[in-house]
Amino acid sequence: MTAHRRAMASDTLALLLAKHGLELARHLRRLVRDDEVTADLLQDTFLRAHGALGGLRPGSNERAWLYRIATNAALNHLRDRARQAAALARHASEVAVAAPVWLDGDQPGGGASETDPRHAAVWARVAGLPERQRLALTLRMSGECAYDEIARRMGGTEAAARANVHQAIKTLRKEFR
Amino acid sequence: MTVRERDEERAERALVGRAFARLTGRSGEPLDYAMMDDTPVGVLGLAAGPAGLRRITYVKDEDDFLRRLLADFPSRPIERSGALDPVRRELDRYFAGKSLRFDTSVDLSDVSAFQQRVLHELLKVTAGHVTTYTRLAQQAGRPRAARAVGNAMHDNPVPIIVPCHRCLRGDGSLGGYGGGLPAKEWLLKHEGAVLL
Repeated sequence: MTAHRRAMASDTLALLLAKHGLELARHLRRLVRDDEVTADLLQDTFLRAHGALGGLRPGSNERAWLYRIATNAALNHLRDRARQAAALARHASEVAVAAPVWLDGDQPGGGASETDPRHAAVWARVAGLPERQRLALTLRMSGECAYDEIARRMGGTEAAARANVHQAIKTLRKEFR
Repeated sequence: MTVRERDEERAERALVGRAFARLTGRSGEPLDYAMMDDTPVGVLGLAAGPAGLRRITYVKDEDDFLRRLLADFPSRPIERSGALDPVRRELDRYFAGKSLRFDTSVDLSDVSAFQQRVLHELLKVTAGHVTTYTRLAQQAGRPRAARAVGNAMHDNPVPIIVPCHRCLRGDGSLGGYGGGLPAKEWLLKHEGAVLL
């Protein structure tokens, strides 16, 4: 692409962003309730729209068309996330037989063994934790994931992953000590 | 605007800022713009930065205005927002004849120091009154620079509020106007100026 054509392309993108950026950021943010995800979806939406501009008939409603692209992107994301959560939940029930070795700390590995009588009871209680706490704890303790990986797999921030794990452990400690 | 709405708008602006930087290389303080599609003098595009109003432009339509803004400000994000609603209300009141004065602050940093001087002199000419290119040249300290004054009118980034329509030729004829002579005539009559 020549410098001139590149400049033209980025001007068309800038024009779309100038006209509809704030409005679509608000729309996406309300749908997915997460700024990092919104940032990605917003950029995807405008790139996709720009790539498909030729397909927009002159005189048709550019704004409605962008809303449609953005809404589809958000719904796809939410669907993927639901599917991922379901897969994680299945994984959680499969590993529920593994040892809850972490009641004495929040590091994976070490601690009580599988023969510990508390074992089954603890995992039974894990199943009753709020979903995000249950998933984060399972990934941390059975999947031995680092917090950034938990954040990546569940969607959300590292701080939120850490908070979910800690809250789960706090609840369990209160009940099993 | 509630605190919550302000927080949300800040978050939305940050997201659009990231998209601008990532997709177009434009970054930094965004310029806000708004359109007035339906005024007695035609379609107007407005743009403002943190220091005040930087553009009132006679345009064909929104895309026309945006192409000019993108060319005039090649490195900054540009966003349509409600930030210019107070200016639009002021202009609405002006066009409706409810008030012929403006309180909006203007940012003239896009024109030369001499042109700024001329435009500041022009701001002293109130509605219903007119001046001439020669008189403005004298007031700006360069009595023989009537032609340069003409250029300052031509380059006026915020017509109507900085009233270059109130500047006429020495013989009382209209001279030129960026928004077209019918617009100039409409504005002057609206303000009650007596034309020859």
